[in-house]
Amino acid sequence: MKIQLGILLIFFAAIGFAQFGPQTPFSDRFGQNSMNLPPEFYSLEWNGGMQLKAKPTDLSIEIDSMGAQEINVLVDLKDRPVLYTSDISTPVCADGDCRLMDIRLYWTLLGEYAGFDRYPNSPLTKHDHDEFLSADYRKLHQLLMDDNSILKRRKIDELVKKPEQPEMEGVDAVAGATIKEVKESVVGGALYSCYTAWHLVHGPIKDAIQKRTLSLVDNDMVLRMLGSNNTDYQMFALKRMTEEQYAANYLRIAQIFEDGVPLIRTFIVKNLPDRFWNSERLQIPFWDNFSEVDINSRSLLLDNLKNSPVSVLENLSQELSVMTKNQLNLYLMHLAELKQIKPSILTNIEIFANSPSETYAYLATDFLKDYKL
Amino acid sequence: MKSILLILCFYLISLGLYGQDLLIEAESFDSPGGWVIDPQFVQQMGSPYLMAHGMGNPVKNATTVVNFPETSTYHIWVRTMNWVPGEWEAPGRFQLKVGDTDFEKVLGKRSGWGWEYVGATEISTKFEKVELIDLTGFNGRCDAIYFSAKNEEPPSSPKKLASWRMTIAQEPNAPKQHQAYDLVVVGGGIAGCAASIAAAEQGLKVALIHDRPMLGGNASAEIRVHTLGIYGHFERILKKLDTEHYPNGSAEAKLDQKKRDDNVKSYENIDLYLNWRAYDAVAENNTIQYVDARHTSSGERKRFEAPYFVDSTGDGWVGFWAGADFSYGRESVDTYGEEWEEWGELWSPNEEDNAVMGSSVLWGSKVMDTEQKFPEVPWAMPVAKAYEEVNGEWQWEFSRNDLNQIDDAEEIRDHMLRAIYGSFSNAKEHPENATRRLEWVSYLVGKRESRRLVGDHIFTFNDAKAGTKFPDAVVQETREVDVHYQTVLEDEKNPDFISEALFYKTPRYYIPYRSLYSKNIDNLFMAGRNFSTSHVGLGGPRVMRTTGQMGAAVGLAASLCKKYDVNPRQVYTGYLKEYLDLIESQKYIKIPKSKQ
Repeated sequence: MKIQLGILLIFFAAIGFAQFGPQTPFSDRFGQNSMNLPPEFYSLEWNGGMQLKAKPTDLSIEIDSMGAQEINVLVDLKDRPVLYTSDISTPVCADGDCRLMDIRLYWTLLGEYAGFDRYPNSPLTKHDHDEFLSADYRKLHQLLMDDNSILKRRKIDELVKKPEQPEMEGVDAVAGATIKEVKESVVGGALYSCYTAWHLVHGPIKDAIQKRTLSLVDNDMVLRMLGSNNTDYQMFALKRMTEEQYAANYLRIAQIFEDGVPLIRTFIVKNLPDRFWNSERLQIPFWDNFSEVDINSRSLLLDNLKNSPVSVLENLSQELSVMTKNQLNLYLMHLAELKQIKPSILTNIEIFANSPSETYAYLATDFLKDYKL
Repeated sequence: MKSILLILCFYLISLGLYGQDLLIEAESFDSPGGWVIDPQFVQQMGSPYLMAHGMGNPVKNATTVVNFPETSTYHIWVRTMNWVPGEWEAPGRFQLKVGDTDFEKVLGKRSGWGWEYVGATEISTKFEKVELIDLTGFNGRCDAIYFSAKNEEPPSSPKKLASWRMTIAQEPNAPKQHQAYDLVVVGGGIAGCAASIAAAEQGLKVALIHDRPMLGGNASAEIRVHTLGIYGHFERILKKLDTEHYPNGSAEAKLDQKKRDDNVKSYENIDLYLNWRAYDAVAENNTIQYVDARHTSSGERKRFEAPYFVDSTGDGWVGFWAGADFSYGRESVDTYGEEWEEWGELWSPNEEDNAVMGSSVLWGSKVMDTEQKFPEVPWAMPVAKAYEEVNGEWQWEFSRNDLNQIDDAEEIRDHMLRAIYGSFSNAKEHPENATRRLEWVSYLVGKRESRRLVGDHIFTFNDAKAGTKFPDAVVQETREVDVHYQTVLEDEKNPDFISEALFYKTPRYYIPYRSLYSKNIDNLFMAGRNFSTSHVGLGGPRVMRTTGQMGAAVGLAASLCKKYDVNPRQVYTGYLKEYLDLIESQKYIKIPKSKQ
C-alpha cells in the first residue's frame, strides 16, 4: 500500500497534478469519534476516566498537494474543549522521492504541540523506506515538543549543507554546531519527515487555535488551566487571574510554585498581588519552599524580606546553607537593619559561622562581629 | 620591577610610618612565568592579579627580585582566594618561595579575597628572589605579597584595603602625569577601535585606553567571538577591525588580531594605551574633566584630559563614574511595549527584573597523538553535573538573577570554568576522548549585556520591528533581534550554563545618533553594548559590526564637535546635515586592495 501510494504520488507529481482527492480517514480506534485513552505520544497529563468526543471546527491546515485538512476539537462530557486534533496526510519529498506521511496530531488549547498517534496501518518511514522504530517515534515526540527547534528558522536545504558554508544571518554562531545539533534533534535518516511534521505542528495553525481558544475563554477554563501541570496553561491562567482569584487559589499557586519549572516560579513571585506580602497566611506557603526552589526564585523571594513575618526570618536562619553569597548578604543586611534580632536567629547564624564546611561562613562571622559592636 | 623600586622609594620616605613593610603587587612581577595577569575585576576585588591558568597543568613559576630595605625577620602574607571553596581540596593551590626558602604552607585556600599567612623568614641579603609555585594548573590566584616586620595582618575589607594600599605605597591622590587629547576613547573593543580610527582620520588627536595587550574585546584572540552584522556606511573602517566567520573560539582569531592591531597602530594620531585600565572619571557641571587610568602591571597612573570622551568599555564605566544615567536588567513588557506573545516572559517580563543575557567563556580541545590525562575535578562537578562536551560555543553562557554581570563577573567567570572543566572531565571518561586535551580555555568573560547608558533616545525592539528611519539614523542593521535566556528556566534538569536564543526577524532597522551620546553628561559619547537601548532592543545590535558602526559614527561626530566647539547633542540640533553628509561620504572612500 505504502509503495503504491508513493508511486502514485510521484506519478501525479510528474504529470503536474497539484491536488489529490480527500484524505483517507483513520480507520483505528478514533473511528468511533471518541477517545478515552491518551494519544500514544502525549505531553500533557491525562485524567483517568476522561472521555473526549471530536467535534468539527472551522479551522484547517493547508497541505501542499493535499488541500485543506480539517481540525477537530476534542471536548469532554461537559462539552468543554480539551484538545485539538487533525488527521494529517502529507507528502514528504527528498531528492525527488515522495511518500505520504500519515499521522494524527494533537494540539493544546493554546495551539502548542500536545502529542501524536501513529496510523496503525501506515507506519512512519525513513528516507530508505525503513519503518520507524519505537525509539524513532519517541525522538520525533521529543523534537515536536521543542518549540524553538533548530528546524524552526532554517530552510530544509540549509540543514543538510556543510556547516562552514553559509553565513547565517543573525546567529551568534552557526558553524560547527549546526549539523551536530540537527543530528541530535531529528530521527536519523528521517530529516525530511521530521522537518515536515515540525512545521505542520508549529505552523500557522498554532495562532489559529489560540485565537479560537481566546474567543471561548471563561473563568472555568482559566481555573482548569491553573489546575493543569502544563506550564503554558499555568502561565496563561496566572496572567488572566484577578487579585481575588489569586487569593482564593493561593494554595494551588503555592503548589505550582513548588512543583513548576523555574520560569513559572519566577513569574509567580514577581506577580503575586501586594495583599500576599501583607498577609502572613498568604505568603508563608511560598517561603516554605525556599530551600526547594531554584536560585532565581529564591532571590525573588528574598526581595520581599521587608514584608516577611519574623517566623520567616527565623526559618531562613536555618536555610543559610542553600543561599548563594549575594543571597546571604541580602539576608544579613536585612537583619542588620532591624532594631532587634530574635536570639534564636542569632544562634543559628552563629552555628553557621562556626561550621567549617560552609563556604560563606566568613560572611556570617563578619556580620556577627559588626552586630556585636 | 620598576614599580617595586618605586614602592621602595616611597618606603624609604615613609620609613617612620611603615618601618619594614613591603607590598609586592603580583602583577608587577619581573616575569609572570606561566601565570597570566587578570585585570578584569579590579573594581570589585581591588587589583589586577596573577592567575595560574594552566587548564589542569601546573604553570611555570612567576618570579621577581625584591629589594629588601633591611635584613631582618619578615612575616609574610599573600592575598589570595580559594575560587571554589567546598568539601574538596582547593583547586587553585600554590606555594611561595623566598630566596632558598620553600614555604610549606599551601596557599589559595581561604574563602573570599583576603590574606593568608605564609610564615616568617629571615632575610639576610638585600636582593631576594620571590617565586610563586603553582601546584595544580587550575586557576590559583595571587594578588599581592606583603612582607612586614610586624606580625599584623593587613586589612581585608575592600574599602580599608584600598586606603591601606595607597598609604603603604605612598601614592598621591591624583596621577602626576596628565595628557591632553581631542578625544579620549576608553575600551578597545571593535566599537572603541572604530571610534578612534574615524576620529583620527578627521584629524583628531586620540587616546585609546584598553586594559588588555591586544585590541578587539570580544573579537580578540583572547575571547574569540566572530563579528556579525553589516557594515552600514563604514565598510572601509570596519574591514580593518572585524573577523572572518570562523567558529567562535577558533584559533583563526589570531590572524584577525594581527590585522586589527596593525591597522590601529598605523594611525599616527592615535596614542594607543594597551594594558591601561581606566578606574575613574570625574565630571563637573555634567562635563567630564578627565579619566584616570592605571597600567595593569606596573601600576603607573595617568590622567587623560579631553573635551570629549567615548565610553566603549562595554560596562559603561566612564558614564557610571561620571554620574551618567544608566539602566540594567529587563524592563517590564509595558515600559516600551516590547511584547512578543509567543515567548512571553522569556522575551519581556510582566514585571521588570534584573535578569540580563549572560556571559560566555569559549573553549576547545583537540585530539593528540598520544593518550592525554586530565586530573579529577570534584570541585567542578556540582556545576557540570553529568554534562559532557569537548568544546564550547556561544551557548556556553551564564546569567543568574543574584549575580550582576559587572559586580559578580569573577564568580560568573569561575562558574563557567567549573562548567568547562567538569564537562570536559565527563567527556574524557569515554575511550574515544582518551587522546583529547584541552587546547584553549578563555579566562576572560565575554559579556553580552551589562550597563546601558541612557541617551536622548532609547533604542527599543519597536524601533527594530518598525524599521523606523530616524532623521539621524547613523547605524543600520539587518540582523534579527536575538535575545538569549538560560535553558534551566524551562527545565531544571538542564545545565545552568547553557542558553538558548530567540530570534525575531525584522526589516532593516536603524539606530539614531541620539542613542549614542549621554542624556545628562554633556561631553560623553557611547558606542558598543553600553549604548542607549532597552534590554530587548540590545538583542539585535549588540554584535560587533553593528557596535563598530556606532564607534565610527561617534568618531565622526566628535570631529564636528571639535570643529564647531559644541557638545554631542548640538551636532544633532545644529549640524545634522553636515554630520550625515560626512557619514555618507565614508561610502565613497576607496578601500585599499590590501584591506579588502
